[in-house]
Amino acid sequence: MDTLEIIATKSSPEINFNAQTNVLSIVGESYPENTAQFYEPVFEWLDIYLTELSEQQVTVNMELIYFNSSSSKALMDIFDILEEASDDGKNIVLNWIYDEENDAALEYGEEFAEDIETLTFNLVEK
Amino acid sequence: MINLYNYKNDLDSDGIILSLSGPMSHEMVESIGRAIRFKIGEDGDKSIALKVFSIFVEQVENVINYSVERIPPESSMSFGIIVIGKKDGSFFISGGNKIETIKQEKLEYYLNKLALMDKDELKIYYKERRRADREGDSKGAGIGFIEMARKSSQPLEFSFQKIDDKHSFFTIKITI
Repeated sequence: MDTLEIIATKSSPEINFNAQTNVLSIVGESYPENTAQFYEPVFEWLDIYLTELSEQQVTVNMELIYFNSSSSKALMDIFDILEEASDDGKNIVLNWIYDEENDAALEYGEEFAEDIETLTFNLVEK
Repeated sequence: MINLYNYKNDLDSDGIILSLSGPMSHEMVESIGRAIRFKIGEDGDKSIALKVFSIFVEQVENVINYSVERIPPESSMSFGIIVIGKKDGSFFISGGNKIETIKQEKLEYYLNKLALMDKDELKIYYKERRRADREGDSKGAGIGFIEMARKSSQPLEFSFQKIDDKHSFFTIKITI
């Protein structure tokens, strides 16, 4: 399966989902003009990848400095999909990476963690 | 207006850092919004700068998505106003746009509901709406106002001014 690679812009994060290394990362800022359109390829890629995935460990690294409210919803949808796959027996670890100076990023990570039940969700200081 | 000096002085004395009235676009958020964010961050607290920026983003998006003042009509170029200022040590971000009066009642009810919630209630409601399906006429995730209310140090402040039989002007103010 091809790597999903989207280059960062001022208002959208870098996406690098690699099916060979099983490392999926989202890094940067997220307030794209059209959130649904921006995240559509991400959901499509995940759908196929998680269906094909067997027992390899998957590491999801999320390092977001800022995201707007509609991106927050898209991220929650991604976490729900990952959690569902995890419940299905897939081996997924999610790292929410934040800078110690960015209190908001830590708080947002904690709030997502509260809404996630079974998926391994680590808060990682950079 | 061939001499803007008095106008500028009025803005300065009201603590206005930025005043934009006209067409709003996503590019504006990327350019002007980021400039303001870095300026406020350089002058002081980066987390305050990020809060001001995040409210600016949500307010510009509201104008883009919901203003009925569009030229030409039905186009993606929406008109509105955004003002950022600092008064008594607090930042405020006000945004306004023209709406259809028939939408006022529902919006007013919703904002009154948010204005009465405390921080814990807003958090619970935010999480509930974040997982809910998108509503029919909502172009965003529909949680922008909750996000603003959560970041505001004061209860939400807003007003509706009648323009004509069918239209009103909606203003919202957030204090950080």
